[in-house]
Amino acid sequence: MAGNPLDLIRNIGITAHIDAGKTTTTERILHYTGVSHKIGEVHDGNTTTDYMDQERERGITITSAAVTCEWKDHRINIIDTPGHIDFNIEVNRSLRVLDGAIFIIEGVAGVQPQSETNWRLADRYNVPRIIFINKLDRTGADFYRAFATLKEKLDIIALPLQLPIGIEDSFIGVVDLVEMKAIIWEGGDLGAKFHDEPIPEAMMEQAKEHRQILLDTALSVDDAGMEEYFEKGDVSVETLKRAIKTGTITGAFRPVLCGTAFKNKGVQPLLDAVLDYLPSPVDVPGIKVAVEEGEEEGDHQRRIKADVNAPFSGLAFKIINDKYGTLTFVRVYSGTLKSGDSVMNTTKDHKERIGRMFQMHADKRAEIKEVHAGDIAAFVGLKDTSTGDTLASPEDPVVLERMAFPVPVIDISVEPKTKEAVEKMTLALQKLAGEDPSLRLKTDQETGQTILSGMGELHLEIIIDRLRREYGVDANIGAPQVAYRETISRAHTETYTHKKQSGGSGQYAEVKIVFEPLERNSGVLFENKVVGGAVPKEYIPAVEKGIKVQADTGVLAGFPTVDFKYTLVDGKYHDVDSSALAFEIAAKACFREGMKKASPIILEPIMDVEVTTPQDHVGDVVGDLNRRRGMIQNQESSGSTIIVRAQVPLKEMFGYISNLRSQTKGRASFTMQFHHYDPVPRNIADEIMAKSA
Amino acid sequence: MRLRWVRGRDSIMTKAGEHAREWLGLDDAGNPIARVIHLDGPMETERGTFRAVALDRDAKLIRLLPLPPADGDWLAVIGGRVVGRAAAPLAAVRRAEAAL
Ligand SMILES: Nc1nc2c(ncn2[C@@H]2O[C@H](COP(=O)(O)OP(=O)(O)OP(=O)(O)O)[C@@H](O)[C@H]2O)c(=O)[nH]1
Ligand SMILES: [Mg+2]
Repeated sequence: MAGNPLDLIRNIGITAHIDAGKTTTTERILHYTGVSHKIGEVHDGNTTTDYMDQERERGITITSAAVTCEWKDHRINIIDTPGHIDFNIEVNRSLRVLDGAIFIIEGVAGVQPQSETNWRLADRYNVPRIIFINKLDRTGADFYRAFATLKEKLDIIALPLQLPIGIEDSFIGVVDLVEMKAIIWEGGDLGAKFHDEPIPEAMMEQAKEHRQILLDTALSVDDAGMEEYFEKGDVSVETLKRAIKTGTITGAFRPVLCGTAFKNKGVQPLLDAVLDYLPSPVDVPGIKVAVEEGEEEGDHQRRIKADVNAPFSGLAFKIINDKYGTLTFVRVYSGTLKSGDSVMNTTKDHKERIGRMFQMHADKRAEIKEVHAGDIAAFVGLKDTSTGDTLASPEDPVVLERMAFPVPVIDISVEPKTKEAVEKMTLALQKLAGEDPSLRLKTDQETGQTILSGMGELHLEIIIDRLRREYGVDANIGAPQVAYRETISRAHTETYTHKKQSGGSGQYAEVKIVFEPLERNSGVLFENKVVGGAVPKEYIPAVEKGIKVQADTGVLAGFPTVDFKYTLVDGKYHDVDSSALAFEIAAKACFREGMKKASPIILEPIMDVEVTTPQDHVGDVVGDLNRRRGMIQNQESSGSTIIVRAQVPLKEMFGYISNLRSQTKGRASFTMQFHHYDPVPRNIADEIMAKSA
Repeated sequence: MRLRWVRGRDSIMTKAGEHAREWLGLDDAGNPIARVIHLDGPMETERGTFRAVALDRDAKLIRLLPLPPADGDWLAVIGGRVVGRAAAPLAAVRRAEAAL
């Protein structure tokens, strides 16, 4: 893998709503690039990237899988991601380390809820995208309607580079507006055979019209191209491609291609577009270095340019444990690293030695001896590196911008079926949580039960299944519970003295702490304003630790306390009797006392819910959502189906699917995803507190 | 009437200190008789963020809108008068030529 010049590499992801055809498209790409001789199908359970048992049985992607292929002298590293919202962490971390993405939408439904979420995620990481409108072979497919949803739902300037020739059963190929020709697939040979033709007479007018839009839009970002156009009345293919690439990378517009992955049409031009329009590692501005605490984010942030000769830097973005040990996936941003080298984990500030290195192909691996800027590889032998950590050379120990992780909103308790398996289960769950930042593990302080927090019922179901199959632990699980949070609604200053000075060595510590509410999603902030050594420096970390531990168990009902700031303003110590432990105890007690007086409240997750229902059931659906404390946001009709959007507390959504099915005789469906945390109404707070008491 | 188009100023200071892009349409004698122009980026004022969409002869702002207008923010200008708008410079060029 050494020696690929950086401009001949593409690191891309494939992302979309569930079932849009990401895995099916990836499978074609692997076939046409010669990596696989056969095409696997999702419904046959034999695709390359859906390699887990659970993926093959259920026909969905759960974990992202990286594969590598060669196309026209370029190396393309592709990550196939899942569409289901419960596994959104996989999309998140993939987009974080990729230079570009293929964004698939369906030719029938167009932009769907998860497409929107993933689009915004890609916006957050500034990932250049090309759009592929898939499934044009399906009954009801309509390129132009699907295209229109791009503007409606995503509010983007979408720019067709192709038009379909025929539709549904009669879809045979595309008009290429860049080169003004038709590309026709011949059928047979799994779509490997296709040829160019003149544009069909009947489509010529339409093609000319769209080519003018293409020129207008693309050249608006390329002044040299404009001059060429004024001179010659047209531009060369090369100029037009250059302009499209510029606009794609800056996001001025988003190119759109189309086809049907399943019927093997349109995939090769999609690969060409990846080379022509998506950036290589040197075409992007470079990854940002994290800001120092208190510093504002912005354009002044230092960026790491892709350069094989610079000091090494990379980001650990995925961890998996298998029978050979722990594999840490790293995107290399700069420099070169050989197996056996040492690097700094600059996030955690310790040294790591790289054992062996692999290039991954889904679940298969090929050993390599070195990695370079622009590569994605898996390392073995790292001791303490988690998802989101930076690895860097001691010469330039940068910390790269961290990733943002989704908030787990559902809790379940797990208990092994046999007492002997307790330790085995804990160990296994720790490993699983180490792989998956959207899975959290904690022990209920009162009952001693292990509590898993995850993104949804499917997410937790898969975890329990993996626990059984991969780690041989059979577990009983409790009913899913809402992952509530606690916070405070007004500021309060509390002083607490911890004193035990009767006989023997005593304990003494006094802390005065101001607790203040913060905006939602601010987390927990600490400030130390002690002057004159009223609390000696060496005890400050103990105060922080005390609060951190205690904040995990809120004062109202034992849920984690979030969105508050605590400021240590004063305190007292004793020359002999003070200790770190004494200050930790004082801080814990100060939190318990202080929080109670700061008007604590309980927060609950509110979900964005989208129900798709036939017209005749809208009344029932809306009425039901209202009864579930839902706030209807809007309704939209598309044909005879209505889409109802609402925000509903998660608590009220358990078991919704079976209710909806029976209410509509199975004709309605819904999706939901976390939106924000809100205070719970009084009566429900009482209910929650009574339960926890 | 078809004109010969050349790059105009690529930086025009207006009252708001905006940056602009411009193309000039020349007649057969090489005299500029039309232009298309675009003010880059929304501008921030105390009252909010606006798109500048119309200009007088000296490229001073004459109108601010909260959102880019549906018919585009490239202006076709002839003799100091806005004769059309478009989303892209080439389309604005066609508007200008059509208006001559
Ligand atoms: N008719 C038709 N079906 C398709 C096409 N592409 C995919 N499918 C089918 O749609 C279903 C879902 O395809 P997948 O490739 O698993 O979709 P995905 O986007 O990877 O789904 P997740 O990973 O679970 O989000 C499968 O049954 C495919 O055979 C297409 O172009 N036409
Ligand atoms: Mg898939």
